[in-house]
Amino acid sequence: MVADRAGYTVTMFLVDISPSMVETRIVDLPPGPTGEERTREVSSLEYSLQYVKLRIQDMIFHGRKTEQCGVIIFGSDDTHNVVNEKNGGYDHVTEFIPIGQPNATTLAKLDTLKPSETSGDPIDALIVAIETQDQYLEKKRTWTRKIVLLTDGKNPMEIEDWEATVHKMNALHISLDVVGIDFDDEEIGYQEEGKKNIKFENEAFYAKFTSSLSNGEVGTFEKALQERYRPEPKDTKSTLMGTMLRLGDVDVRPDEAMEVLVKTSKCTMLERPKSWKKFARRQAVKQDAEDETQDVDGQVDEDKKTVFSQLRMRTEYYVDHSESKDDTDDEDNEEGEDVKKKNAPEKVEKEQLIRGFKYGATYAPCPDGQFPKLPTKKGIDICGFFHRQNFRRDFSMGEVQYVWADPSSALQQVTLSSVVQAMADKDVLAIARWVMRDGADPKMGVLCPSQFDKVDCLLWVQMPFADDVRKYTFAPLEHLVSKKGDPITTHPYLPTSEQMSAMENFVDAMDLMDAGEKDEDGHRQPWFDTRLSYNPAIHRTKQALYHSAIVNDVVSNPLAPPHPELVMYFDPPKRAVKRAREAVEECQTVFKVKEIPKRAAKRARKDGHVRARDDDEEMLLLDLKGPKPSASESQTTSQEPYTNQVSEDADAGSETESEDEELLLDQPKSGAKANPPPTPARLASTDVDPGRERGRIIGTTYPLQDFKKNIAQGDLVTKAVEDMAYVIKEIVLRPFASRRHKELISCLTALRETCLKEDEIDAWNKFLRDLKESCLSPPGNPAFWAEVKKSGRGMSLISSPEAANLGGVSDISESTASNFIM
Amino acid sequence: MAPFDDWNNIDEEEEEELQDASYFEGKRDVILFCIDCSPSMQELKEDPVYEGVQTSRLLTSLEAAMQIQKKKVLVGPNDCVGILLFNTTRTNEEAGYASEIKKGCFVYQQLGQVNAPKIQELIQLVEGAREDSDLLKSEYPPLEGKRVPIGDVFTSCNWVIRDNAPKTATKRVFLITDNDDPHPGTKQLLTSARTTLVDLIESGVQVEPFFIGTEDRPFDPTKFYSSVLINSGFDDEAEDEGTLPESISITRINDLLAQMRIHEVPKRAIFNITFELANDFVIGVKGYGLVTEQKKGSYKYFVDLGDRMEVAESRTVYIDEEQQAEVEKSQLVYGMELGAPPANENSDDEMDGAEYGTRVVPYGQRPFYDAEEVRSFRTLELEPGLKLLGFKDRNELAFEDNVKHSTFIYPDEQKYAGSRRTFTAMLKVMLEKDKIGLVRALLRKNAAPVFCAMLPQAEKVEEGGWNEPGGFHLIPLPFADDIRAAPIEEGFRASDDVKNAARAWIDKLCVKNGAYPPDTYPNPALAFHNAQLQASAFREEFDPESFEDVTLPKYDMMHKRAGELIKEWKKVLFKDDAANTIIATAGTKRKADVSVDEAEIRSKYEDGTLNKLRNDQLKEFLKNKSQPVSGKKADLVERVADWLTSHS
Repeated sequence: MVADRAGYTVTMFLVDISPSMVETRIVDLPPGPTGEERTREVSSLEYSLQYVKLRIQDMIFHGRKTEQCGVIIFGSDDTHNVVNEKNGGYDHVTEFIPIGQPNATTLAKLDTLKPSETSGDPIDALIVAIETQDQYLEKKRTWTRKIVLLTDGKNPMEIEDWEATVHKMNALHISLDVVGIDFDDEEIGYQEEGKKNIKFENEAFYAKFTSSLSNGEVGTFEKALQERYRPEPKDTKSTLMGTMLRLGDVDVRPDEAMEVLVKTSKCTMLERPKSWKKFARRQAVKQDAEDETQDVDGQVDEDKKTVFSQLRMRTEYYVDHSESKDDTDDEDNEEGEDVKKKNAPEKVEKEQLIRGFKYGATYAPCPDGQFPKLPTKKGIDICGFFHRQNFRRDFSMGEVQYVWADPSSALQQVTLSSVVQAMADKDVLAIARWVMRDGADPKMGVLCPSQFDKVDCLLWVQMPFADDVRKYTFAPLEHLVSKKGDPITTHPYLPTSEQMSAMENFVDAMDLMDAGEKDEDGHRQPWFDTRLSYNPAIHRTKQALYHSAIVNDVVSNPLAPPHPELVMYFDPPKRAVKRAREAVEECQTVFKVKEIPKRAAKRARKDGHVRARDDDEEMLLLDLKGPKPSASESQTTSQEPYTNQVSEDADAGSETESEDEELLLDQPKSGAKANPPPTPARLASTDVDPGRERGRIIGTTYPLQDFKKNIAQGDLVTKAVEDMAYVIKEIVLRPFASRRHKELISCLTALRETCLKEDEIDAWNKFLRDLKESCLSPPGNPAFWAEVKKSGRGMSLISSPEAANLGGVSDISESTASNFIM
Repeated sequence: MAPFDDWNNIDEEEEEELQDASYFEGKRDVILFCIDCSPSMQELKEDPVYEGVQTSRLLTSLEAAMQIQKKKVLVGPNDCVGILLFNTTRTNEEAGYASEIKKGCFVYQQLGQVNAPKIQELIQLVEGAREDSDLLKSEYPPLEGKRVPIGDVFTSCNWVIRDNAPKTATKRVFLITDNDDPHPGTKQLLTSARTTLVDLIESGVQVEPFFIGTEDRPFDPTKFYSSVLINSGFDDEAEDEGTLPESISITRINDLLAQMRIHEVPKRAIFNITFELANDFVIGVKGYGLVTEQKKGSYKYFVDLGDRMEVAESRTVYIDEEQQAEVEKSQLVYGMELGAPPANENSDDEMDGAEYGTRVVPYGQRPFYDAEEVRSFRTLELEPGLKLLGFKDRNELAFEDNVKHSTFIYPDEQKYAGSRRTFTAMLKVMLEKDKIGLVRALLRKNAAPVFCAMLPQAEKVEEGGWNEPGGFHLIPLPFADDIRAAPIEEGFRASDDVKNAARAWIDKLCVKNGAYPPDTYPNPALAFHNAQLQASAFREEFDPESFEDVTLPKYDMMHKRAGELIKEWKKVLFKDDAANTIIATAGTKRKADVSVDEAEIRSKYEDGTLNKLRNDQLKEFLKNKSQPVSGKKADLVERVADWLTSHS
């Protein structure tokens, strides 16, 4: 592809709305919170519109006036296009959205499209698109032309004279992307079953057609869609900023000083996720919010609409007249302090306000908002040099900058190069003081020599001022001293030699220097490369932003999992994990790290906190869909006064944090919260509290996922089976288990299948008997056993013939197995 | 937000949308200076700094307290301070709670929010005492012959703090004394001291002692204080509650201020999370911000209430403009900007009622996310914690792999028993093998995951003073998104001759065993600002001339050491062939006539005919000299003239 000029593009989308586009397919959605599989039925048209909307959203996102698009539909019942108006023919092709800069209305309009009664010809549409685009760009000859064709390829087309079309398109430098629904793709190994001959031929034609174009491509829908979400860094050109690198006193002793003209540019620059705009539902009738999930199920009044409006931010100023406000935020309200709270803050207009600083309790007026600044002179002054080995890497405070010699002066280049080379030779760094502009605040930093293939430069990073370094005291880790002042050599805080050797094995095993891919010579490379590590928050947020822009309901149509490249560094490489297995076990044994149960609650508030954290409680909260019981709402409000409260111990920061967490949990949730779209990260991550008991590898929270994961790793099958059986029984016998019956049945199915395949037949038979007995004896869960029975023979004990099929052994006869489940 | 809070905020921007950081503001620091006035504290000595002036340990202590207060008032304007003197015969005049203050203790400065008059009063006392060396003795006469029981001192502290400190603050007593054995042979007073200290601790106050010793008479904490202070010994609770064994400072009187500076800000962890080394192998760690940019405080808005100035608190509200209705925070949903209003009007007709800035969907549907969902997109549904990914060689951590400051982690024994030995073992092994760790980190609930290099730091113990703690620095690595390519790929390079000439002066300017010394570089811009702020609060005139910027290069020293060598280097440089190459400007649209020879410009400047040059020529010249090219022609001419003057 030719490098695109940003903007100056007209993209024509040609959308097939022929009757065949009504055909639906089942699309897998990310599994629900309990691991249940979720699917959604989507028509070919909805499917292809998703792609179109995604492309259009990209344009809206960039917001360029010169990035425009138009939509042409074919297969429409009527006809409305420029070619037909002029010459006739080209029926059932309609210019649906005229070329222009797209916005949210464009997307909304696409949603009104429905499959038609007539089929249309994509080639007709293509010719109409070329013509429409050409007319529009008559005076804008330099603009880039793109056409995107979406079709299921099931309808006949008129392919005569296609070479002429190719010729015309090449002449106009039009690029064409054909996105085919269920087209075969060798790369992702997709082949449609029962493909009709006509589609076969059409696919072949598209392949021939696009390859004859100087810029054409055909691809299947899934691949095209996934490619849209591949993380890609924004290619930003850094600007070169001119400044001076000074050595010595250039004003007073110029003959003994040096001034080099340099240009600086960013080497690293922290990118942040795109910001979210805030909206709110307009005229929100109370019950709307609460009935939401039910509504999706279909009992929707067609005419009713929900309106969301974008919000504006406004800053208001308040002044508190009560003088004793120090006390108002006290933790206990019982001392009758609420009387003071009635003294409500008064709103004041910004015009009445005076700017100033606080000097303790004293007001220091400063109407300009800042005092006169320290007079400084632009440039980088070298203050001295020191050896690289003494560089404190942890002092580096911010982004890194390149310092280049002026590209237009050989003298400056040689000058800087000599300094860089000499510094590299001696292995030293320079201490330097940088003033960005005249009058700007100076910064201290170090300059590090950097030699590229053909050019030398310096790298700058900011170092802390005295004010920026905090010297906290920490208890020594190794040099423990007794009360009497004598050194201590054995103590639970000090690792023993046995522990040291276990750790050494662990560190060796987890070495990443040879845990990456092999290079051309077959040598393993280090694992992890910053240049391939994409910021997950940026790309996930972008994906979510786009998704919300193109779907009308994020509850029934949740976001797809993140692109695999986004999470590829989330867990250590398999190679290292495998290698470290023994070392980890050794470490677990010798270090004996134990989680300490939370100390008994001191106050009611803490009590509430612990409860909210509790596993079962969380399940309850998650399972509550629809209307929130008012109880939990009042709980929220009753806790709110505590958010500002800080407890007196040194850990107050983290405590306050967990209170927030608690609030989040308790916040009234709309239906969607009960259904957070899970991601592979959630699946892969062990950071989510999986409800695992000590020593168990399967938790009560996501048993099926835990199980599948362990089986997939294939190393702890027996343990996984044992723990799964344990956990299933555990959940079944809990109160309120009925909500999870369906999930548990899936667990059983998975467990049985694994037992059969992995020769854990006895384990299954033993477990199932135990389960039956537990369910049927009080307190038990007879309802669940009834559910199991419904699954029939396939869920019963594994019989001898069944086992023999897979080469296993069982002592259960076929009839015992059948009777057992009756 | 006060600059102080920056320390406790991992990343303000990261929080912006989702979390109200206001709870940090409630976290105040309270320091009660508790200073011994015994005869030995008041004994007069030659001042080591000012010739012919007499000073005492008490005076030095008061001066240190003043310096700390002056700093506090800037970095934590909401913090509270007070001064209590003990072992003095002066009695409290104030009524009320004063009756509870034990005999021999005198509240010199009531505990309360720091303010200008308070500090000025203290300054006057210190200055007065310097002029009249007997002032302190007469104002606060020492208790001769006996000592106030330390238990009484603690009780008095407790009363002062109980009545005047905000309940939610971090409360500390800075105990300053030179007597290591106040109650020789009295077991009972020791016990009472311990009991009263426990009371103090239980009400949330920490005691941080500053013991003054001399070379002849070192302070021996084992005589009395170790049995009082470290009563909890080496048990797990010692770390955060009660007196910390590590917080005892024994110092010479002249280092008192330096010692106090270390303790000036209470040690606060910014996060307290788990560190997963492997499956089922998890320890607890706490994080501390040891390096963070200390910024100037931002200005605040004040309201004139007649009798006083009060800060106006700001509050952000979200408004539906059409309806002029305020929307509650819990009702907010998040999504993407809706794009520009439609360009062609005719596309509107079908969209019934859809006005700009709104989005209409079928009833009951929701095309936006709630706050919790938005958070999950940042965190990728990870929970706060560190996860070890593996180890790499130390040299894999490049100089340029940096985007922001590091944080320091230290084991937390309170969540996982055994964290310390595991952490220490890992630290020692990594130091020995010269490895760094690679971790995936989510430092708090609202943050985004980052990959960090984990740089081990060896524990360094030195006699007295501050020790380099053992632990790991977490250095956030740049993502692919943060890395910019080098825009310049080719340039002229120096020959060995020129390089060696440069090496000569670099050798002279290289500090042996030197390193970057943060302590010697106080932020000049911040100091300049603070000096003006103080002058404004004290209603004094500020004299900018009196301000010295110590970050400027030490020119005299540099020229003395390397001046000749730099001259030499320049000679070699100007003779170098490569350096004299003329670089043909690449074929841009602007033709060569833009660049005018410097000599020609100089001659025009000398003739006073710079005006004859065209704007683009002036700009080209300025650009070459890395000067701004903005402004009108007159500005350009002036700038060129300025440059030529300063470079003649």
